[in-house]
Amino acid sequence: MTAESKLAPIRKGLLEFLVLKIVGVKSVYVPDILRQLAGTEFSTQEGTLYPLLSKLRREDLVQYEWKESDAGPPRKYYRLTDTGRAQLAALDEYWNLINRTIANFGH
Amino acid sequence: MQRIATTVRLNRSVLQFDDAANARLEQYLAESTSLLEGDPDPQEILADLEQAVADQCTRRLRPEQTVVTLAELAPALEEIGSVQAPGNGPVSPATPREATPREATPRSLQQVSQGAVISGVCLGLARYFRLDVTLLRVISALLLLGTGGAMVLVYLGLMLLMPYAPLEPGGAPIRWLPGKSRVFMEFLRVKLGVDRPGKIVA
Repeated sequence: MTAESKLAPIRKGLLEFLVLKIVGVKSVYVPDILRQLAGTEFSTQEGTLYPLLSKLRREDLVQYEWKESDAGPPRKYYRLTDTGRAQLAALDEYWNLINRTIANFGH
Repeated sequence: MQRIATTVRLNRSVLQFDDAANARLEQYLAESTSLLEGDPDPQEILADLEQAVADQCTRRLRPEQTVVTLAELAPALEEIGSVQAPGNGPVSPATPREATPREATPRSLQQVSQGAVISGVCLGLARYFRLDVTLLRVISALLLLGTGGAMVLVYLGLMLLMPYAPLEPGGAPIRWLPGKSRVFMEFLRVKLGVDRPGKIVA
């Protein structure tokens, strides 16, 4: 098994964490999220993002509201719910913990 | 010459598509619907995707252009990408796409749509007999040539008789042809009553 095939599922799992982080900063619509992820290891597409956001909304971590746009139809702006904010804080803390643990091994 | 276009409502937008683009759009949406099988909220995601297609196509239209052609739709769909189920629960290791014998799954002879080329017969047989799927495909192709096409009948027979394995979240994507043949064979199976009663695929 190549390194890449082991890294792919890690990225896939972390994408959700990252999307929560992005949505947590300010309310955004999907092209904003894609633009922020583009060029990083987590660069993704609408085909991936919409099912993920739908799942996060079902879990009551994000919610959206419609906002008028200057060009074209209204857009869905996503933001974190209180539950989402709490889960993001927990994930953040756990992620830091894991990082410290990993860094402490192998010396 | 007059080009006949189809008017399509995509969520909150209405656009004109020429025949080729319209066919490609229908294919993409059908594919997305089948990939969202098992998702609790497919309607919402499909509506979002429709809007994404509309926005992307609108952005690509030239100022005077009113009808969307494949020249706009193809890169739009490329950018949107096919539907990927979000990673749920424990992350399953990314298994090589084909011919991975899975120790835990019960051994039943089923067609495997994910990663299939035609309908998933070879992939299913390869899983069942723990063979290399490429080898099996090469043998099938040789038999097809050697028997003057009689293999086609055998393949069609197996397509009808072998049930489809349930889709695995995070598995290999389903190509267009296997997706279509899955939908069609499921339909045919119900019509002909081939389905084993009481077997519900989640």
